[in-house]
Amino acid sequence: MRNMWTLYHKEMLESLRSYKLIWVPVVFIILGIMQPLTTYYMPEILKASGNVPPGMLEGYEMPGSAVVMAQALGQYGTIGMLILVLGVMNSLAGERSSGTVEMLMAKPVAPAAIVSAKWAAQLTVLVMALGLGAAGAAYYTEQLMGPLSWSNLAAAAGLYGLWLLCAVSLTLLFSAWLRGPAAAFLGLLAAAAMSLAHSLLPSQLGWTPASLTAMSAEMMTEGGGFAWGPVLFAGILIVACVAAASLLIRRNQLPE
Amino acid sequence: MDEIKWGLIGPLLALQALLAVIGLISLGKAERTRGPKWLWVIILIFGNLLGSVAYFTVGRKDN
Repeated sequence: MRNMWTLYHKEMLESLRSYKLIWVPVVFIILGIMQPLTTYYMPEILKASGNVPPGMLEGYEMPGSAVVMAQALGQYGTIGMLILVLGVMNSLAGERSSGTVEMLMAKPVAPAAIVSAKWAAQLTVLVMALGLGAAGAAYYTEQLMGPLSWSNLAAAAGLYGLWLLCAVSLTLLFSAWLRGPAAAFLGLLAAAAMSLAHSLLPSQLGWTPASLTAMSAEMMTEGGGFAWGPVLFAGILIVACVAAASLLIRRNQLPE
Repeated sequence: MDEIKWGLIGPLLALQALLAVIGLISLGKAERTRGPKWLWVIILIFGNLLGSVAYFTVGRKDN
């Protein structure tokens, strides 16, 4: 346990030195506040782009605050997920160059401690980024569109974060036996495949973690629709990824 | 467009500038990058949000 804490500390120090702890949250805030801003200015943007049929802008109705907030969270499913996955792809694969292997040789450290410390560090970045990003988006949405339910927002952001954590954990697992870029590719592919399968067969696959995004949007706009199935399966998936990555990591078997 | 509300747009521009500055600091310290450094300077300054994201995700070699 103490080893794990030390390793976690080292991971956090590393993400601070590489500015990851700053730039990822900043990008999430920008993505978050861009959604309410572009929605608010949409008539002007359309007008400025020209050739808008007359009468079209009269029919434009500003979407409600909850809808805009749900869309803002949806922004994190694409660029946000890409950033997080690219950030985790080298975490196990790149260890040979960053010196943890020497530490392992000098001192017996359980593979599970390394993997969990890395996972916890990724989780910290994710929570910081999503928390600040959602807060920024919510602030802008409240100012421009109207009041939001903060309890719904917290639940929706939590569900979305769980989905992102699934993708991060999958990539962490893949990075235990593949090179970084391949791990990132497979992680994104797995997440995309889950979403696609879920959108093709929503009733049969309602229990998969991929339905967390839809659940998050519904939670935001209607304040209901919570189901334990996807949450439970997301938890199982995450734990399984961390456990499998620990099993795959042996002292001399880290991919380069 | 009647007038730009700087109170709304300002924070967005400030955050993007912050991102570019952090990128430039990191670029100054970096020993090796993928591709020439001057190119990344241009991308960071003119590339907006995506330019900075590109630098932080694929531009750096160490770490």
